[in-house]
Amino acid sequence: MSLNIAADHEPQVFLFLSELLGEKIVDSEGRPIGRILDLTGNIGGMYPPVADILVRLEKNRRTVMLPWQSITAVNGILTARPLLPEDFREPALRSGELLLKETLLDKQVVDTDGAKIRRVNDLQFLLANKILYLVHVDVGFRGLLRRVGLEKPIAYILRKLFDYVMTDQLISWKFVQPVSSPDLLRLTIAQNRLAQLHPADLADIIEDLNIHQRSAVFRSLDVETAAETLEETDPKIQVSLIEGLSTANASDIIEEMSLSEAADLLGDLPKERVEGILKEMEREAAEDMKELLAQPEEKAGGLMTTSYLSFAPAVTAGEAMEKIRREAEDMDLIYYLYVVDGQERLLGVLSLRDLLVAPPATILSELMDTRVVAVNIEEKKERIADDFAKYGILAMPVVDDNNSLKGVILFKNLLEVVAPKLGR
Amino acid sequence: MVDSLSGGIRRFTQSPSVRKYWRSFGLFFALIGPGIITSNVDNDAGGITTYSLAGAEYGLTLLWTLIPITAALIIIQEMCARMGVVSGKGLSDLIRERFGARITFYLMIVLFLANLGNTISEFAGVAASLEIFGISRYISVPFSAAFVWWLVVKGNYKSVEKVFLFACVFYLSYIVSGFMGKPDWNAVGSSLLKPTFRMETGFLTMAVALIGTTIAPWMQFYLQSSVVDKGLKADDYPYTRTDVIFGSVMVNVIAFFIIMLCAVTLFRNGVRIESAKDAAQALAPLAGEYCSWLFAFGLLNASLFAASILPISTAYTICEAFGWESSLNRKFLEAPQFYGLYSLMVLLGAGIILLPDMPLIRIMFYSQVINGAILPVILVFMLLLVNDRRIMGRYTNGPVMNILSWLTVAVLTFLSLAMLVFALI
Repeated sequence: MSLNIAADHEPQVFLFLSELLGEKIVDSEGRPIGRILDLTGNIGGMYPPVADILVRLEKNRRTVMLPWQSITAVNGILTARPLLPEDFREPALRSGELLLKETLLDKQVVDTDGAKIRRVNDLQFLLANKILYLVHVDVGFRGLLRRVGLEKPIAYILRKLFDYVMTDQLISWKFVQPVSSPDLLRLTIAQNRLAQLHPADLADIIEDLNIHQRSAVFRSLDVETAAETLEETDPKIQVSLIEGLSTANASDIIEEMSLSEAADLLGDLPKERVEGILKEMEREAAEDMKELLAQPEEKAGGLMTTSYLSFAPAVTAGEAMEKIRREAEDMDLIYYLYVVDGQERLLGVLSLRDLLVAPPATILSELMDTRVVAVNIEEKKERIADDFAKYGILAMPVVDDNNSLKGVILFKNLLEVVAPKLGR
Repeated sequence: MVDSLSGGIRRFTQSPSVRKYWRSFGLFFALIGPGIITSNVDNDAGGITTYSLAGAEYGLTLLWTLIPITAALIIIQEMCARMGVVSGKGLSDLIRERFGARITFYLMIVLFLANLGNTISEFAGVAASLEIFGISRYISVPFSAAFVWWLVVKGNYKSVEKVFLFACVFYLSYIVSGFMGKPDWNAVGSSLLKPTFRMETGFLTMAVALIGTTIAPWMQFYLQSSVVDKGLKADDYPYTRTDVIFGSVMVNVIAFFIIMLCAVTLFRNGVRIESAKDAAQALAPLAGEYCSWLFAFGLLNASLFAASILPISTAYTICEAFGWESSLNRKFLEAPQFYGLYSLMVLLGAGIILLPDMPLIRIMFYSQVINGAILPVILVFMLLLVNDRRIMGRYTNGPVMNILSWLTVAVLTFLSLAMLVFALI
């Protein structure tokens, strides 16, 4: 078994346990040191790093432990830095540590109710700054075939005959809880929620990577996950990630992001690049985006999103509910409903709660609160932050000089400005 | 005065030891099942055919082999039942966790094929037995497939077990038909206790075939999984052991009556038979029509029973290996792979029988060959697992049990390999 090296010789960032077990470790001159029997890790953390390697030494067949830090390169084979006698220690687990292959591989995975789902076919690691993090549990058929040694031939047959590309079925480590007796892995979230992983901590790991590794990881994510991860990463890294992608890919991912986050990101990119991306996007989304981009970022117009719900005053509560049900999924904000007249002038606001408790036949103009707190589109963000702190609301409508509604600022988009003021 | 009076009353109702006895008797009936069912399914269509042939071709000379077979069966099955109650896991679970994905994957493919071959032969048994009563296989096979499918998919562990235990009672029909053959009990008794041995290929093949049909790979998987599915715990173990021993003895008593009946009727009159169906039909002029019917009915019962158990065993085995939910107590949608595999096995087993020009004899022959080849592997895995302290804790084999079990496995391995050699030359 050899490590698969990506065709374009990208740095290897995702590694499977099955690819590491039995692999050779060599010293800097290429002389063999031994083979990997198992890895140890303290599985308490969210994405636990690998601590030691259990190695069978080449020269005397003895089994010893070697710290993972002594590995300097993983590139088909593992290369260790010059080793001192004190690097090797007798195999013994420190408290909280366990052998990953021994305790996790092939074990049963059960859901929150204890129903059996799959077995652990493989473990997936992320290599970042020479630290190996356990990130995923592989429960898929492809993982099983990898273990059996048939992954390549069967993948080839499926691709040639059925045009079917096998994908990995991975469960994020943070949703998994190993149980010792009987030894199995319990999921901590319901099975059907597995697809909706919140990528904030994947984003944390990505931020720790160097630029090449980062784009390699990022490219391996599907569009939706990539978009969500991008929203969670630091703006400077966002730019570097997008620059590593083709225009078509970038526009796909940006389209999946929330409008205001996407606008912020595009605002940081070079002009020509932005134009290219906008051209690739769907027309309607591109129009919205252009409008937002025209607004200076320091002011209300640059912070707002245009993805919110507005209604005419004569709409009934029942009709409004229907519309929310249809469109809520694509909206940045659904908690407030803005009531506007024919010229888009802001007449009033009501919350989703007001709507839920109202009889369905009531019209919105009877339900709305006309004392709306709004900010002018030219307002500076510090002033807006003050208003958020003062009124304690989740979102603030943005109006122009004619009081016509232009967008909404979400509290979370202002968080970095608001946060210091909250203590006051 | 008062003392003796109350003592008299107590004696009159029940002494505590008698009550205790009744309670453990009741508990026994609540906890038995897996052992008796697994053993009885050994007497499936293939088993009855082999016993009939052994009796018809070699008379009473092979009867004595049933005694060592019973001992071997008890030793092997006891270990499976023990692993089930202690670990709470099926045999396939343990093999995957201890021996890894690669070996398990290939083992599952082989077991699927071997079990499919067996299932086909069970449906062939259903077809053959009802043809004696003049019912076409195109009616009997689809109906019985639908029946066993419905029984398992709609039932839960408890209801399925009740039906199977009830089916075990019908094996007694072979004992009744055995008496109808009016055997000479002295001759029967002496050949049971006095081993005869002949260095002839045919005789040896038949002896090995008797063992092969009684100790098959699927049984160990089924027994252990059903012990787990029934929810038996280490505290219940004494009852489970009794269950296993009782089942192993019962199955060989039935086998004894089949061999004996065929020996005193067919062998004595020099009737040559090829199958269990031939045996049933040949019995009519020799032992009476009722005896023939009872024999055919026993075959139907055994085949139908096994046509359900073998697919269940396959579904348990494969689902455990890949970590899918597997329990008769789940609904179809809660354990789709389990019931999917069960349905597939029933469908294929019954479907292949109905195809014209299927080389049935050859299919069954090769499934026996695969069974024989894989049995040593499974048995060695079992012994390694049962002696693994991380799995079994203080319930590992003791030294005596280890000597007995390794010896049994060595003999069975030798015989299985011998059968392979006989089969392939």
